[in-house]
Amino acid sequence: RGFPKYATLSISIKRYPRAASAIFQTYNDLLLAQQWSEIEIVDLPTCGRCGFRGRRPENPNTRTCVVPCSLAETISMTWLKSAFGEFEQPEEVFLAINAEDSSIVYYKLSTGITKPPV
Amino acid sequence: MTTTRIPIYVSNERAFVWDVDHVATLRSEHHVCGVLSGTLPHLSQQNVFLGLPLVLMPEELVLLVEKQLATIVHDPAAHHNPTPPQLETWDASRRRGIAHQLARQEREAGRHKGEEKGAQDAVAIQKRALREARRLKLAEAEEAKRPMNTTTGPVEDHDVLASASTPVLTSLPQPLPHSNAPSERASSSPAPVTNAVYTISVPTTSDEFTWYDPALHTYETLDAARKANVWHYPVTEEDRARCEVFRDLWEKGYYMGGGSKFGGDWLVYPGDPLRYHSHLVATVQTSPSAPLRPMEIVAHGRLGTATKKVHLLCGWDSASQEVTYISVEWAGFG
Repeated sequence: RGFPKYATLSISIKRYPRAASAIFQTYNDLLLAQQWSEIEIVDLPTCGRCGFRGRRPENPNTRTCVVPCSLAETISMTWLKSAFGEFEQPEEVFLAINAEDSSIVYYKLSTGITKPPV
Repeated sequence: MTTTRIPIYVSNERAFVWDVDHVATLRSEHHVCGVLSGTLPHLSQQNVFLGLPLVLMPEELVLLVEKQLATIVHDPAAHHNPTPPQLETWDASRRRGIAHQLARQEREAGRHKGEEKGAQDAVAIQKRALREARRLKLAEAEEAKRPMNTTTGPVEDHDVLASASTPVLTSLPQPLPHSNAPSERASSSPAPVTNAVYTISVPTTSDEFTWYDPALHTYETLDAARKANVWHYPVTEEDRARCEVFRDLWEKGYYMGGGSKFGGDWLVYPGDPLRYHSHLVATVQTSPSAPLRPMEIVAHGRLGTATKKVHLLCGWDSASQEVTYISVEWAGFG
């Protein structure tokens, strides 16, 4: 209501009520705290939620993918693979792990075995 | 070919390699490292440098046997009960070894004494002779065990005994009739040396024992070993998933070490651990639907990043017989 772009989120929140808290919290964090731009909402039905794609201030030339989840949830390898599938196989997907105290932490996931830094 | 397969000695479901050449082959040809776990006799108060035996992880044994690179030997069973003649032969050769050591000690001490004498003048020699005579009388009177003094101890005892031909207490157990006394002198008494110090070596491998025969206790397949109740791993689905992931990483050319120091199942090295740092810590997900908690991703990911490694989630899918890898790193923001 008072939150910007709440209307656009409301569709996903109604569709995936169990993930609503993680969706809402992550969106606001990306928009306001991480200051991403051009955030689009991506439907991830096999993951039972929506995710986001946007531009990081540090990396404005790529569109970075994020899938939110809650610390209290249980996921699986299949679930993670689905996220990559729904985003159409990006190189990386960020998992946004939300806690009930509203802290959020992001982990970078990549398919395959990453090469050591040169 | 059975003859080229490396024997892995299994005892109580633990896998050991006792031959240093096999250890080298495992590492250089099959990129299986294992862990050296034996203390070094000459440096027993430290555990930075360890020696044989090499201990293998269960997954390493499974891989080597399934790839037909190794066989399982049930070590306890391969040690049969020695027959009395075998025991006697072994005992005799041991005593011969001890006798050689003592004889050599004797010779070296004699050489010492010779050098000492050369440096002394006539008066000193005379004084020494008088002292020797006095001691002889004392020894005859007491018929007691004499304390050894530094390097010339055994030699002096010999001199006393040769002249006195008095039986003296011995540090050797009751010798067998045909065995050698350390001093093969003209003296008629057995006269072994008192407080002589000799080394007994315990061989690393049992191959030289005539009662050791692994032939009937060697297994070429995991099934055979399981039926014989010698080796059971892998038992559970988790065990099997671990073996499959290990095999997949091995087939990709990686070297694996234990991962417990980094909160994972294995450390994964792109080459020999002596030359490379590991970049990856791997954990196994038993199946595609096996529960994974986000907290685990936080813990693994953060620990990995803090130690300059990447955490590798390895998912085994028994339906497709494939391993899926997902690397996890802390994002660095948020």
